[in-house]
Amino acid sequence: MAVVEEREGLLGESPFRKPGTRSRRVTLIAALGLVLFFPLIAIPLFDSYAYVLQVGMLMLMWIAMSSSWNIIGGFAGYISLGHGVFFAIGGYAAGLALAHWGISPFLFLPFAGLAAMAVGFLAGLITLRTRGPAFIVATIAMLFLFLLWFDNWEFIGASSGLDLPFLQFPVQWLKVPFYYAMALCAIGAVYLAYRVAHSKFGLGLRAISQDETKAEVAGINTRWYKVWAFALSAFFIGVAGAIYGYSLTHLRPLTFFAIAVAARMVLMAIIGGRGTVAGPVVGAILIIGVNEFAVRQFGESELNIVFTGLILVLALLFFPQGIVGSLRKSGRLPAFLDWD
Amino acid sequence: MALLEVEDVVAGYGAGPDILTGLSVTIEEGTSYCIVGPNGAGKSTLLRAIAGFLKPRAGEVRLDGVLMNGSRPDQMLAAGICFVPQDASLFPMMTVRENLAMGGYLVNDRALLRQRMDMVYETFPILAERRGQNAGTLSGGEQQMVTLGRALMIEPRVVMIDEPSLGLAPMIADQIFEKIRGFGALGITVVLVEQNAVKGLENVDWGIVLDLGSKEFEGPADGILADPRIRELYLGKTMSKGMT
Amino acid sequence: MAHWLQILVLGLLLGGVYAMMASGLTLLFGVMRVVNLAHAAFILIASYMTYALFEGLTLDPMISLFVTMPLMFGLGVGLYLLLFPRLEESPRYVEMTVLLTFGLALIVEGLLTFTFTGTFRSVRPEYASTSIMIGDLFVPTSQLYASLISFALLILLWVFLRFTKTGTAIRATMQNRAAAQIVGVNVRRISALSFGLGMSLAGAAGSLLSFMFPFFPARHWQWIALLLALIVLGGMGSIKGAVIGALLLAVASAFVTDLVGPTWSPITFYLTLFLILMVRPQGLFGAKVRL
Repeated sequence: MAVVEEREGLLGESPFRKPGTRSRRVTLIAALGLVLFFPLIAIPLFDSYAYVLQVGMLMLMWIAMSSSWNIIGGFAGYISLGHGVFFAIGGYAAGLALAHWGISPFLFLPFAGLAAMAVGFLAGLITLRTRGPAFIVATIAMLFLFLLWFDNWEFIGASSGLDLPFLQFPVQWLKVPFYYAMALCAIGAVYLAYRVAHSKFGLGLRAISQDETKAEVAGINTRWYKVWAFALSAFFIGVAGAIYGYSLTHLRPLTFFAIAVAARMVLMAIIGGRGTVAGPVVGAILIIGVNEFAVRQFGESELNIVFTGLILVLALLFFPQGIVGSLRKSGRLPAFLDWD
Repeated sequence: MALLEVEDVVAGYGAGPDILTGLSVTIEEGTSYCIVGPNGAGKSTLLRAIAGFLKPRAGEVRLDGVLMNGSRPDQMLAAGICFVPQDASLFPMMTVRENLAMGGYLVNDRALLRQRMDMVYETFPILAERRGQNAGTLSGGEQQMVTLGRALMIEPRVVMIDEPSLGLAPMIADQIFEKIRGFGALGITVVLVEQNAVKGLENVDWGIVLDLGSKEFEGPADGILADPRIRELYLGKTMSKGMT
Repeated sequence: MAHWLQILVLGLLLGGVYAMMASGLTLLFGVMRVVNLAHAAFILIASYMTYALFEGLTLDPMISLFVTMPLMFGLGVGLYLLLFPRLEESPRYVEMTVLLTFGLALIVEGLLTFTFTGTFRSVRPEYASTSIMIGDLFVPTSQLYASLISFALLILLWVFLRFTKTGTAIRATMQNRAAAQIVGVNVRRISALSFGLGMSLAGAAGSLLSFMFPFFPARHWQWIALLLALIVLGGMGSIKGAVIGALLLAVASAFVTDLVGPTWSPITFYLTLFLILMVRPQGLFGAKVRL
């Protein structure tokens, strides 16, 4: 009981007691092993091999996106509905590098991430002058501004889009490189979130989310903390955009900017548990899993977006701290999910 | 039967700790009260719990012997319990007259409202002068008079005033206390909360001393003021503050 | 000169409709501190209702106001009672409501797409394709009607808020929610009523828009960005400000369209929204409304 009490302190956790370190290490190795050997394990499912790998890739992509979003939206408590912009920047940066200079997007990944991060830094400088709901509205405006720009920018194909050359690879194994690239991206994103959560920087972000004025009084340079959190949160979303865009071979602004893309990152983080490291991962796996199941059972339909909205509403009403957050609060979080 | 009985009330905010820890107070009709005690003793919390702004976690609030726990603020007001909180709770973009009219929101008799408004203007002549002015443009003392005048519009049985002198110059505060003393003649039972304990007690019949969420002591106000031990224990700090 | 006057008039006509769309949104914010991201989605519900009534019963869209307004009022009150009392305890209430209404917008969009498909729809009564000339000025009949109805409803709203007891209680709650409670206003009832009122204005707007512009379910994102720009410009929670903001921006975007073409006219709204939030998060004409 004492431990639980302690965890409800300012930072929602105790930095001193770390029970279950071993079980966490076992989980970590098991999870990494599963991710790495999944394409091998899946070979018996060869009939639908491409599909299975595609779902795996999507799951990893959303883990990366939602974990990244969580840095600003969860740790710092600044809810952005505009992170689709960074997805697009990454996708288009890598796409243009391929289409114009013939550079493989797989080599270009770090630069796609950096491009997204740079835009994130600038956008953060501007939007983070606002707080709370004004910030949310500002990020939506940012999304629409970029969409309007990309939709009318002939150099990148405007609204009709940009075609990319196919990756030269045996067609039955075509998904494998995309899968591994996305696995790398997801691992990187979760690792980044973990490192942020365990750093002084992360501590500052949590202080900001609790009470920004007090954080400022305590000597935290809140402005730079927030701007850097915003920029960092853009990096792996940009990387994910580059990989995803290449896998589609055709880039259209709406693929990246659709508000549903931004909505999903937020939804997954909230369902799993905003502000926890494990939350977005749990949320992404759950939402993509349920979604793929629904699509297979009932077919692709407009009702998907209804379910997304419904889950968001229900989660906010009954489960605002998400799965990981609620379990932790009641002291029932299994040690293998306690990554904070 | 006592007008208002508070029995073993436990209350606090949100998921926070108990501020009131089993508090019992009895308010008799026609007596005026001042609740004093150190910061965090639960003075404002008590008023909020009675007025229906805060639901007691345990215990009972009874009016004329009828259990009122869980009533909404508007229901408590309709039953005659009027609460005047410490922050100037006015409608800044409405005129003084509109603010007073809002005080009679629960009264549907227009003639009665006009009559009461005239009475308020008589009690607070300055408000008559300012009647067409937006409340947000008034001085602190004038705003406090609007809130008191607004309370009169409903002719409550009990008016509970939280820190009427807060932020006011001593001379203005004295004027406000003088008006509050006049409430008794209108048949209104006054319950004050005052940080400036001496000043508060000087203007009422009965004093109630709170500490750590429960009642420490109660008695006639002049008796409390005269008792050196109580002064030292509970009024010490606030008294010296009040003297400066 | 005549050309500029023409653009000004068209801008003002459109601004009237925008003003009514925005007034419901700003009313909700004023009373309940809810930034309703689903407002435009609700407007679209009414547009589709109007479409169904026109296609099925050939009911004139201006008459269908009498159907959409009460229905949307009921929907508003119902949604409020179902969703909001639960959130009021939340420490991050305003943020939660933004996410909640975001979820509602997604639900509405999905249901509309499911029911009516994603293709463009429009309601074409006779007056949708006629116009009248006032001197040298060319005025599309549909815009004129829509604008007149909008201004009429705005005046009704003003009279209601200014001169009725309930309206005064709504204004009081907007100015100081705690004080409204002190004087005995049942703020929950007022909130439910305001939600209904805002939604019935959305209902009216949906009926009017249905014969002014073609619509499809995802259209509401463009509309909500536009509306947010208007009410942020006018100061959130200020109905007068929303009307001024609507007229200003509608005229501005009409001029932008004329100068650089219709593709870029939405930028007037997004850029305005973005810039104002940066410079003055409380809006231009806004009182000290904390966002």
